Amino acid sequence: MNRKIGVYICECGPNIAEKIDIDKVIEAVTSLNDIVTVERYKLLCSEAGKNYLTEQIKKHSLTHLVVAACSPRDHQLTFMEVCENAKINPYLFQLANIREQCAWVTDNKEEATKKAIRLTKAAIARVRCHSPLEKKEIESNPDILIIGGGIAGIEASLQLAHSNRKIYLVEKNSFLGGLIKNFEKKYPEMQPCSASILQKIETIKKISNIKIFTDSEVQEILGFFGNFEVKVKNKKEKDIESFNVGAVVFATGSSLFDINKNPQYGYGKFDNVLTSLEFEQMNLSKKIVLKNNKTPKSVAIIYCVGRTDKGYCSEICCMYSIKFVRYLKDNIPDIKIVNFYSDLCIPGKSHQKFYEQTQGENIDFIRAENIDITKKGEQLNISYDDETNRKKNCIVDMVILSPALEPSVDAAKLAEFTGVPLGDGDFFAEEHEKLNPVSTSTQGVFIAGCAQGPKSISDTIIQAEAVTGKILSSLIPGKKIEPEVKVSQISESFCIGCKTCLDICSYGAITFDEMNKISVVNEVICRGCGNCVAACPSGAITLKHFTFNQIYEELKEAVQ
Amino acid sequence: MKKDDIFLPKILTFLCNWCSYAGADLAGTSRLQYPASILPVRVMCSSRVDPLLILRAFLNGFDGVLVTGCHLGDCHYQEGNYYTRRRFVMLKKVFDSLGLESDRLRLSWVSAAEGQKYAKVATEFTQKIRELGENSSKNKIFL
Ligand SMILES: Cc1cc2nc3c(=O)[nH]c(=O)nc-3n(C[C@H](O)[C@H](O)[C@H](O)COP(=O)(O)OP(=O)(O)OC[C@H]3O[C@@H](n4cnc5c(N)ncnc54)[C@H](O)[C@@H]3O)c2cc1C
Ligand code: SF4
Ligand code: SF4
Ligand code: SF4
Ligand code: FES
Repeated sequence: MNRKIGVYICECGPNIAEKIDIDKVIEAVTSLNDIVTVERYKLLCSEAGKNYLTEQIKKHSLTHLVVAACSPRDHQLTFMEVCENAKINPYLFQLANIREQCAWVTDNKEEATKKAIRLTKAAIARVRCHSPLEKKEIESNPDILIIGGGIAGIEASLQLAHSNRKIYLVEKNSFLGGLIKNFEKKYPEMQPCSASILQKIETIKKISNIKIFTDSEVQEILGFFGNFEVKVKNKKEKDIESFNVGAVVFATGSSLFDINKNPQYGYGKFDNVLTSLEFEQMNLSKKIVLKNNKTPKSVAIIYCVGRTDKGYCSEICCMYSIKFVRYLKDNIPDIKIVNFYSDLCIPGKSHQKFYEQTQGENIDFIRAENIDITKKGEQLNISYDDETNRKKNCIVDMVILSPALEPSVDAAKLAEFTGVPLGDGDFFAEEHEKLNPVSTSTQGVFIAGCAQGPKSISDTIIQAEAVTGKILSSLIPGKKIEPEVKVSQISESFCIGCKTCLDICSYGAITFDEMNKISVVNEVICRGCGNCVAACPSGAITLKHFTFNQIYEELKEAVQ
Repeated sequence: MKKDDIFLPKILTFLCNWCSYAGADLAGTSRLQYPASILPVRVMCSSRVDPLLILRAFLNGFDGVLVTGCHLGDCHYQEGNYYTRRRFVMLKKVFDSLGLESDRLRLSWVSAAEGQKYAKVATEFTQKIRELGENSSKNKIFL
């Protein structure tokens, strides 16, 4: 191929011109092979600069473009657009960063100039090996599958439906609402909770855009962002429904830690030892009574049950236990309540106040360890070590256990067949704690609420809103999806079928073709990191635009 | 003139696009100064840098190779830099067993906010390579 490379060196006003002897750079590269023209220009990214470049490309019938200017993080896209407008493939372009990583960091003008020459020559050597790459566009389906009908799933459904999206909401139980359907009130505002979620459920049922599946489970999710094929099975009627969606939300919530693993609390053995959830249900039915139907005169609430087993703090148990004190005092004003905690966790702008306002007569907070519960007549005896390590006892009518939250029992199964990884505590792993907290490593699959980790109702709603925003901004009706162009490819003839690359890829972009005994990259899923390239023992994988040759030619020229 | 002033080593520096390249740019916008020995090559992730590239670079005459990437846990592609680290440890061993100087290789995590750290690593590593002198094995072995 007859290459015609044009090289343009930007002065960036005084930014580059004062620090680098641009004429020397021009001199050094002018006589290189394939170079048609080398020019300097004041401000290449200005409108005038872009027009100038476009004209130059046309005038010299350039096939490749090299710009020596600022960081590609600043203007790579600007110049790629110029290429597109001037009808050369934007990947036949290379930017040499002679500003941020040369002019601005090198005092000595002579050294800066020499370095700029190396970087410009390296860019020229690299661009010679570039191949044109074509953008791909795939039709996408704007509909959304939401798994889990708790507050997370309901909020996401409502908000997405408001933006005219079609929602498939799948709930394994026969009713929607999740855990919070059982709560009379929610901390810290002590506003009605069950009543308000029931109202939301009524609303959601009336929205024709939301198709609700109860008693159902998702059996299969195949495909990729924009094009997932889903199968949902109704557990009662045994029939299977198939449909397509563009994005999936895991809102499968959490369940309580299994207290039977901690027999010292006497749960299941003695009457009047309840879990927090059972107590919520009892309170909701407005009948806080003992097994013998009498009103309890004293209650102990045990915090942090199962925390050591799980190895994490569930964030919410302290707060809802304090809420229980409110429930109890509202219903039985002269009841005695003893709170046995190990560490009080009450962060947040309103929680401290909520705690302080929950103190008063007949309300004790005791920091305790080694709790053991036994029966004492009709009552329960709690033996514990206090803060000074002394053994103590306390006798009460009723015990409420506040156990840790753990992932929904089905999370592991869902993770397995979708390939979305589990993270700490076996909750679904976010793609990145800070950068992408509600995405997963599978593009188009999002997580919201307690499926991602224990959290309060308001934090759950925040995540549902975040997911809504993510989906609305990335999956747009009528807009085609543009997958990454710089992806990996596996050579059929070099692949030895060792499967090393399959485990390496964090995105599950590589699958094994059993027929031909070779690995294949799904270009729609690949993100182009290049990890598999470095891992392949037989050099069978090439990452487009970052090929061995391209990088090697670049560095070879830099060292000359 | 001291010898230090005369010998400006050539150090190939791989930078991952998301953290370290941004960190190096920040060193620039903050006008921090470091030796012109550093010759940057951008890759999308440090995990793209296969050991063979480093070996070839070295045999082509670079006096040192610096690989930079996001801090562990911060890789834009999740676990890429864990693989980078593993490969790097392996490569150092290979260098030792081939009788090459593994001190001429360095791996460093530089975040997008760590312009200062980048300039410091660049300066210190250059100093180290100056002490080691010119890469004597260049062009001697062919792979
Ligand atoms: C006792 C107790 C009291 C609490 N009190 C408060 C409070 O006062 N204030 C507050 O802010 N927070 C409180 N919380 C926390 C609150 O419960 C959570 O923040 C909230 O339930 C999270 O909602 P979610 O939708 O993520 O999960 P969930 O409520 O757990 O809902 C998940 C839903 O998904 C369904 N599901 C699970 N797996 C599947 C599957 N594979 N397929 C289909 N469906 C599935 C479940 O059946 C369920 O309906 C309390 C928690 C407990 C345990
Ligand atoms: S292209 Fe970059 S280097 Fe040139 S003027 Fe614009 S900002 Fe400055
Ligand atoms: S690592 Fe390379 S040789 Fe092994 S299966 Fe993957 S592509 Fe094929
Ligand atoms: S380049 Fe990265 S994302 Fe693409 S297949 Fe290889 S490891 Fe997976
Ligand atoms: S993206 Fe920076 S190390 Fe992977």
